[in-house]
Amino acid sequence: MKIILVDDEQKFINMLAKRLTMRGIQADVVFTGRDAINRVKDTAYDVAVLDVKMPGISGIQLKKELKSIDSDLKFIFVTGHGIASRSEANMIEEDLYLSKPLDIETLIKKLNKIIKTG
Amino acid sequence: MDNATNFISIEGLKFFGKVNASISHEIKNILAIISETAGFLHDLTDLAKQGEDLKLSLLESCSESIAEDIQRGFDTIKQMNQFAHSVDVPIKEIKIFETVELTVKLSNFLSFSSKVEIENGDKEDKPVLTCPFLMESLIYQILLFVYESTGPDGHVLIQFDSQKKDGTSLIISTPTNFILDGFPTPDIQRAAKFLGFELNINSSNQKLDIWVPYVSKEIVALEKELQINLKS
Repeated sequence: MKIILVDDEQKFINMLAKRLTMRGIQADVVFTGRDAINRVKDTAYDVAVLDVKMPGISGIQLKKELKSIDSDLKFIFVTGHGIASRSEANMIEEDLYLSKPLDIETLIKKLNKIIKTG
Repeated sequence: MDNATNFISIEGLKFFGKVNASISHEIKNILAIISETAGFLHDLTDLAKQGEDLKLSLLESCSESIAEDIQRGFDTIKQMNQFAHSVDVPIKEIKIFETVELTVKLSNFLSFSSKVEIENGDKEDKPVLTCPFLMESLIYQILLFVYESTGPDGHVLIQFDSQKKDGTSLIISTPTNFILDGFPTPDIQRAAKFLGFELNINSSNQKLDIWVPYVSKEIVALEKELQINLKS
């Protein structure tokens, strides 16, 4: 499984990527939406794990951009916020959503589930 | 909503909610880093139990990271506490630099905030008789407007000019063009009016000037109104 983690909290995703790698999941990290778009243009990933609120672009907007580049890409949202609005809730409903702090085993279960269910 | 008490109650509650949401987000991020680092230490311990070498440098960097984020948490809670105490007394004498600095820190919890540099040319932090909560709310709303123009990669400079006897000018500028369409909003105008502050936009040299009187007739009137309404 190959995933991309996108979050401006650099220490958080660097540490998360190390722990996922120790569990056999290849995890690349980027800190901005712009870098995520560039990376997805070059590399095929199974899942993108996105922070909902990031500087410059929201996770929801970023999902649209990434989906237009790779229509097979699956998404999991991670956030330190609650869901701010009904429209955000509707956007996220179809995807998987996790709240910070994360439990890594729950994240891995969600990753396996989203890949299996397609 | 011309009544200041109503304005502070309604707009103040919105502001209080917004700041609380951003602080809780910051605390969640800090806990997420500490949680992942503790999890990583646990992973290393499991590997060591299976006979793998435990690298001391990794342990050292993990403990340093946890200490740094605990400090970040303490700083956040300190700011939250300072902010919470700004409603203790409706009108009081505050230090202008200290209040602006706190408001900038609170606004920097927002994901779209720009990098802000505060330059205090005056050695003395001037006292201002004001409604601290409304002043913080006003500066916060103005900063949000500026951040929308400058973006998360932008830089904002705040300077103080206390050359005049009766007040200080708070000057907000950016190296790029200000795009302050729709500024000031009616809520910003109203808050400035209740505080006796004056807002001047100089689009030619990209500066926003906020005149903060040390004591204004508006603040004296506001004090009277709040005293009456808080008693009733």
